[in-house]
Amino acid sequence: MPSVTFDHVTKRFGDVVIVEDFNLEVADGELLVLVGGSGSGKSTLLRMVAGLESVTSGTIRIDDRDITHLAPRERDVAMVFQDYALYPHLTVRDNLSLGLKLRKVPKPEIARRVAWAAGMLGLEALLDRKPKQLSGGQRQRVAMGRAMVREPLVFLFDEPLSNLDAGLRAQMRIEIGGLQRRLNTTTIYVTHDQVEAMTLGDRIVVLANGTIQQVGRPIELYRDPVNRFVAGFIGSPPMNFIEGRLDRNGGAAFVADGVRVELGGEREPVPVAAPVTLGIRPEDISLVAAGMATSPVSGTVVLVERLGGTSHVHLDVGPNRLMAAVSQEQLPAVGERIEVYVPSARVHLFDAGGKCRTARP
Amino acid sequence: MRAEARSGTLLSAPYVLFLLAFAAYPVAFALALVLMHWDLVTTPSFAGLDNVKLLATDTRFWQAVGNTFVFLGLHLPLQIVTALALAVALNRPMMFRAFWRAAFFLPVVISGAVVAILWNALYATDVGLINALLVKAGIAPVPWLTDPRVAMAAIAVMVTWKNVGFYVIIYLAGLQYIPRSCQEAIELDGATAWQRFRHLTLPLLLPQTILVLTLSTINGFQLFIEPYVMTGGGPLRRTFSVVLYMYTNAFSYQKMGYAATIGVALAMIIGTVVAIQRKVVGTAEAL
Repeated sequence: MPSVTFDHVTKRFGDVVIVEDFNLEVADGELLVLVGGSGSGKSTLLRMVAGLESVTSGTIRIDDRDITHLAPRERDVAMVFQDYALYPHLTVRDNLSLGLKLRKVPKPEIARRVAWAAGMLGLEALLDRKPKQLSGGQRQRVAMGRAMVREPLVFLFDEPLSNLDAGLRAQMRIEIGGLQRRLNTTTIYVTHDQVEAMTLGDRIVVLANGTIQQVGRPIELYRDPVNRFVAGFIGSPPMNFIEGRLDRNGGAAFVADGVRVELGGEREPVPVAAPVTLGIRPEDISLVAAGMATSPVSGTVVLVERLGGTSHVHLDVGPNRLMAAVSQEQLPAVGERIEVYVPSARVHLFDAGGKCRTARP
Repeated sequence: MRAEARSGTLLSAPYVLFLLAFAAYPVAFALALVLMHWDLVTTPSFAGLDNVKLLATDTRFWQAVGNTFVFLGLHLPLQIVTALALAVALNRPMMFRAFWRAAFFLPVVISGAVVAILWNALYATDVGLINALLVKAGIAPVPWLTDPRVAMAAIAVMVTWKNVGFYVIIYLAGLQYIPRSCQEAIELDGATAWQRFRHLTLPLLLPQTILVLTLSTINGFQLFIEPYVMTGGGPLRRTFSVVLYMYTNAFSYQKMGYAATIGVALAMIIGTVVAIQRKVVGTAEAL
């Protein structure tokens, strides 16, 4: 089974750098998610693996084979496109089998593979339909089937779920994950949706401006983001950030207008008085019951969103807006002044350059 | 509401008047003339079915119909293939693409008579450019417009050249609608350039091909200026088209009733042929 290696891969359009010195090895059978905003270079990286974009410098290998300059059809990779890219004039059966016909696969073998993929994806009843007679989710399945029957070395997914509505997206996400684990085919999956990245990826690569911000397992990125970009990108609802500085007065503490968080003695990540940003996830903040021990963080409730299981409490703390995700029944009223508990063990501190200074080793 | 209806009537009036004067009236007049004898000078007289009976047994008319079908048999495939090939070529990124597109469109807007005179010079047996090139290549010169076996083919080539730009535009519009991701998908599916054309581009251009086929069929049945200017219907009447025969009857023999009968018959032939084409290609669309 194959691995995919990016070796100093750079892509430029004229003077514009799309991807800068990208190095990565996708392990055999791994599902690697490339996640980032628009313009981060994630789709360009995928298209370079497919051969649909040229590589300015560096090499891409599948196992030990250098594919950097091969034509798309010589690479033995299959891609699922955002708009599915089904052949509109062909039936589902012919959509699935065209790639095999072009590669002169014997007819009984084509029939066997089409039946196998159709069975796996529940497409048996749809084989004689045209794409326009299918729903969005069915088209998505046909697109995956077309990739599967090829039995390629590598699957490439380019934002495959972004044209589906929310409910279907969650369902197809589960199906893609299950399918990939069963087939165990090396997969590179591009998305801008961090929920897809967290739930699907064996590992996630967070990209910004064509460079890797962080590579790791989903939980590592969640727990130990290396910089402010990753911290803000991974996790939903997003992490709260408060600008402030460090205070040495009676043990290291983060201070800002209306905020004081004790950091515990041994941690002194940045020089005292240097500007620093504190990051805390909404789910790590808890509300302090009225009349209990006083907390150094207090604010005014500006909005309460009840989602059923959890609720989002938005409060103004000095000039900063904080959001706490809590699961309790008793919620404060808008306009009420409340205290919140910010556990120091869950706090991330970022220096002026955005680098995280509290990352665990 | 009544004011709206009044302004609607008013706004559509110019077009309705135009349609009545230049479409409905001539058609009605032509239909009436089928039953008349009229020499353009004296008062028309009732002819009953004389014109229709004459048409049924007029070998010259049926020869003209045959000639026109020969022309279409040569012209239609040539027109579709050249328009498609040029459109695919002009759809690629290239230097001066706008110039090339304009260059191929230019003959469409030039008068047919001018083009005919120009090609007369190109086709000239002794001094024509085409034969000069053939001779240079060591090939015997061809009497393009005077050999009964090649004259209609020569005209078909010329008409194809004149109209190709128009049909190229139709195909170029169709090519814009082929999703880029489909082209990429078939490339990843293993298709060579020819296979991409054969399995994706060509089938997705079927609506355009139907349009080009219909328009060039209707246009081709009305072949007139080229044989009129270049061959006068010769040699051996081999390029005598239906419209040329109609024109001759109307303005050389002054048999307006018979000319109108030919015109009505031609309209019926065009309608039948296009209907048959639709039926055949329509089933292809369902495939």
